[in-house]
Amino acid sequence: LRSSAQHPIESFDVVVIGGGVMGTSVAARLSATNVRVCLVEAENDLCEGASKGNAGNAISFYGEPGTEETELLNASNLVWEELCGRLGVPYRRIGAVMVATTAEEVERLAEVHAQVLACGVRARMLTTAQVHAAEPLVTDACLAGMELPDEGLIDPMRLTIGYGALAVANGVELVLGQPVIGVEHDEHGSVVITAQRRIRARYVVNAAGLHSDRISALAGGEDLHNWPRRGQYAILDRAFGHRMSRIVFSTATPKTKGINVMPTTHGSVLLGPTAHDDFDGDDSRATDAETVQHVIEQAARLVPATAGAYVIKTFAANRPASEERHRIRFDHLVPNLLHVHSRSAGISMSPMLGERVLQVLNGAGLDAGERANPVVRLPAVPSLRGCARPEELVAANPLYGQVVCACENVSAAEIEAALTGHVPATSVDGVRKRTGAGYGRCQGSLCMAGVSFMTALRTGTGPADVRQTSRGTVGA
Amino acid sequence: MTALIVVGAGPSGLGVATTLARGTGDTVCLVDRIPVPGGEAGWDDPQVRDYVADAEAAGVRLLLGHMAVRWAAGALLLLGPGVVRTEKARHLFFAGGCRPATAADLRLAGERPAGVLPATVAEHLLTSGVRLWRRPLLIGDGPWAPSIGEHLRRTGARVLSLNGTGDWADETVCHDGAVEVLGRDRVRGVRLLDGPGPVPREVDCDAIILCAGAIPNRNVDGALTESDEGVTFVQPTAPRSVRARFEHGQSAAREWIRSMEGNQ
Repeated sequence: LRSSAQHPIESFDVVVIGGGVMGTSVAARLSATNVRVCLVEAENDLCEGASKGNAGNAISFYGEPGTEETELLNASNLVWEELCGRLGVPYRRIGAVMVATTAEEVERLAEVHAQVLACGVRARMLTTAQVHAAEPLVTDACLAGMELPDEGLIDPMRLTIGYGALAVANGVELVLGQPVIGVEHDEHGSVVITAQRRIRARYVVNAAGLHSDRISALAGGEDLHNWPRRGQYAILDRAFGHRMSRIVFSTATPKTKGINVMPTTHGSVLLGPTAHDDFDGDDSRATDAETVQHVIEQAARLVPATAGAYVIKTFAANRPASEERHRIRFDHLVPNLLHVHSRSAGISMSPMLGERVLQVLNGAGLDAGERANPVVRLPAVPSLRGCARPEELVAANPLYGQVVCACENVSAAEIEAALTGHVPATSVDGVRKRTGAGYGRCQGSLCMAGVSFMTALRTGTGPADVRQTSRGTVGA
Repeated sequence: MTALIVVGAGPSGLGVATTLARGTGDTVCLVDRIPVPGGEAGWDDPQVRDYVADAEAAGVRLLLGHMAVRWAAGALLLLGPGVVRTEKARHLFFAGGCRPATAADLRLAGERPAGVLPATVAEHLLTSGVRLWRRPLLIGDGPWAPSIGEHLRRTGARVLSLNGTGDWADETVCHDGAVEVLGRDRVRGVRLLDGPGPVPREVDCDAIILCAGAIPNRNVDGALTESDEGVTFVQPTAPRSVRARFEHGQSAAREWIRSMEGNQ
């Protein structure tokens, strides 16, 4: 702490710790008010934890009836199209079918149906024939199904970075690559300490996901116990993806929504996730061949045609599990420390989360008022892929004619936009998260060198020291 | 007069285009995404230069610096910096070369740290002349492995090979079981599972270059599989000489011309 003590204290009304979807959506909402906000993230980019490694499913139900979680999910589900239009985030309300293949699952499906209705979410039971009409690729072993018309696909990385960009456009100070190493308190509020900064704030929002227990401990708060619930996924090529018209869920259990078959906004299909609680584990994101094989086999039980499809990538990610799966409340020991946490529904409640957090903070005395003419819309960056009139894009910006990622049709114009936006990409992976360059079947074989050079130019690095991921460089 | 389009101006594509220009009455257009012909053989290869001169003499129209993006209804959408054009054609020949196997193709498990790169990317970066790695592990025995291995040794690196053959590695490990990548921020090694001993062997490295393959590139929408209409793929996967690839292209074109004559 001694090194940072030399730095002058900067003053804010609220400091938000955590640049995932929870933290960025809160920062975006607060940025439209007259309070001063700082967002601190340990990694070198936004969206590096649970918000990055999820299925891209904007879910319509998750919680129990009458809970805050359900209330936020329901309110959020109404605004996806409008919100994503403003932020330039791909979203499609394609709906889902939940499939039962055993007598036991049929019974459980009826229970889930009752619970979904009790949550105030649209759903209806389907016969096998109706399931096949909705999604012909569902297994013939299907005994019954349930339609969930308000399930959607979203690009979780573009969403998180979109919230962050909106916050920055409205003057939020973004501090990246600086883990919090201390939180001190005095009569004026708190000071959040990193290796380079001392950031004073009246309120501290703990949106650190898997690390929120560590942040609470640093601040002298409650003993929150988080652990990684690891999920492994496999991604299928878009050549299969275009055949699917619905999300296909297995019948949920009380513990998990199981292994599902989910189209993505990029046109690929995601299989997974598994749910492995790693109680003593770190943030390892390792896959193993056996579990990946299990994911592929389970998915084929729901949608047999996935068995022959080309797997382009496998990965693992950690959701932040905890005894409290949802938490928007002040710490019992530190009165200005607000915990904001969701195990699995963060993306899906994010549209209305900021509004709720603003209410809670105002209730505690923040006294934020709306400010005049905040930025509510980000500059549109059209995608070359699927564009019906590419000549218009190229006429407006010649770099649209320079296709860098051949599999995903990502142009130099889109990559330049990612490298120069409100929250610019500073790594090859950062470009991938914002544009999809490298997402396709060749996994960067053709484009990663070009993306590295473009990233190196914009970050003032070179081929060896340009970052490939948020943490690691291309060269040793 | 209708047209034929060949995508990919490497040796295969040059062989296809020249043969089509001489053997049909069609205009033949040869497209490449980079501004020079030659593909992986390189534009300055003397044989490539002869083939290009011959193609031009045969009347092949070179359209370089254009990426083929979409093939639909007998038309190919092409994009270049500041340029969009659509070329109509009665048939498309795709000679887009090959790429190394991906981590998923190889069923590599474990972490996904920085420092794991496809061979094509490593090759491209190495030609920038920067010393990137001291102890790289080259996985596989595809056509990129020897040149990358030799290049890295010239920069003073100690080159490790997993399942390679040939003398371009300082040390070769053979293993046909599962492989897991180690390292959270940057790659630090691999773990070899299902090996002979009770404890999995670990091999330290500071980069992993995916050199196995080759797998045909497929990145033109509407021309992805053999079942797509109006497309012939000319992508030999075994490593061959520049001449052998050119001749393979020639025979693919001759075979197509014969099949067209047979249909009439």
